[in-house]
Amino acid sequence: MLTSPTHRRPIVLLSATLLVQILLLAIQIRRPGQVRLIRVWSVGLVTPIESAASWIVGRLGAGWKNYVSLHQVRHENEQLRRELNDLRMRTGQLESRSAEATRLAALLAFRDAHPPGALLGARIIGAGPGASRTVYLDRGENDGVRKDMGVITPEGVVGKVLEVYSSTSQVLLITDKDGGVGCLLAGSRTQGVARGQGEALLLLSYVNNDENVAIGESVLTSGIDRIFPKDIPVGNVVGMHNGNPFKVIDVRPAARLDRLEEVFVMLSRAEWEPPPATVPDASPKSKAKVQKP
Amino acid sequence: MSPVDLLEDSYSPGIPSHTAMGSRVEVHRFRAGAVVGTVFLALLLQAFLPIYLRKASLLELPLLVTLYFGLSRRNPARGLLLGTVVGMAMDGLSGMPIGLYGIALTLVGYLASTIGGRLDVEHPYSRLFLTFLAFHFQHIVHALTRRWLLNEHEIIFSLTLLFASLFNAALAVPLFALLDRLRDSQD
Repeated sequence: MLTSPTHRRPIVLLSATLLVQILLLAIQIRRPGQVRLIRVWSVGLVTPIESAASWIVGRLGAGWKNYVSLHQVRHENEQLRRELNDLRMRTGQLESRSAEATRLAALLAFRDAHPPGALLGARIIGAGPGASRTVYLDRGENDGVRKDMGVITPEGVVGKVLEVYSSTSQVLLITDKDGGVGCLLAGSRTQGVARGQGEALLLLSYVNNDENVAIGESVLTSGIDRIFPKDIPVGNVVGMHNGNPFKVIDVRPAARLDRLEEVFVMLSRAEWEPPPATVPDASPKSKAKVQKP
Repeated sequence: MSPVDLLEDSYSPGIPSHTAMGSRVEVHRFRAGAVVGTVFLALLLQAFLPIYLRKASLLELPLLVTLYFGLSRRNPARGLLLGTVVGMAMDGLSGMPIGLYGIALTLVGYLASTIGGRLDVEHPYSRLFLTFLAFHFQHIVHALTRRWLLNEHEIIFSLTLLFASLFNAALAVPLFALLDRLRDSQD
């Protein structure tokens, strides 16, 4: 067999002999530029390996560097994400405080337009259960709150005090089915009664069919119910049609009853004076006058 | 085993080998010093004859000696080593880089030994034909090596080469017959 060691030996010897002679020639022969052929071959043999090794080492190094960088970036990313969440939370708090400051400035202006002691600031601390449209205030009997006192915001009427406890009180909103307020149309001074329907809109009753009522017309308190003084905004007319025997008029409340946060309880029946159009500066001296909710 | 032993047959058991076809082929042994002496004489004549006889430059005595002992002894290892020694000696005498003839004659020695173990190379015609082939083979290998390593464009075939190959082939027949006389008498 040609593959047996006995037969393979001459081939190996031939290869070795030829290789030695080729190397011998390479040592003797010089290429143009006086470089020995063996050197040209050596460089030609080693250079690709060096290039490949350099490429591999470079790739491995770059890969390792990228891996380490990626690891650091991931770490940094997590840290930045945490910081972003903190900043978002802080921004939300600041926005909330800013909105609160704006509201308080408006309340201050509203409060300054009335005699001292006429209005008591209160904060909404809860809402009534189920379908009832009631809210709870953080002011009660100890603060001078009494039953049937009117509750308003700078925008308009909110409701009346339904129950009073020592430090809290329950307010019946004007949109409740049992709620209502004596009103008049701002244009014609026609009087009526706005009643709650358990919905967002009020129903203005007792206005004759032949009365001219315009959409968007303001509806104010009439003062007849002896709860609210005269000319406090109740809402605006948003719809109407003739009924039997009176017109059926839908009124959207002026106060944002679904977004109440701070209100005023009317401790006395002082005459209503419209608030000034401009907001006074919120200096500490001015703020000191406000009974903060 | 010394290098001289590789060239000589003093230790050779002289056992007949087998051809690839299974037939027995006789392996010849030579008298002590016959191989070394013949090679030395061939190199000497190759170096000096062309000085006195211009036509002697066509002679390739080292090639003929390498071919003859390769064909006769039928041992590839010894054949290629003999070719290597003879070729490198020729390189040394020619002043060319050592290895050019060495490579060519190494291959000739190896192939001759291999062929000798498979064919009957005792007949004059086969010797004539094999010498003709070996001459051109050696020249082609030599030319290609020079082209590859030295960037020299050596002619591979010409009428002069053809004439030289025929001349050497014709010379090989009586020369080989003469060298047959150097075989061991026990052979």
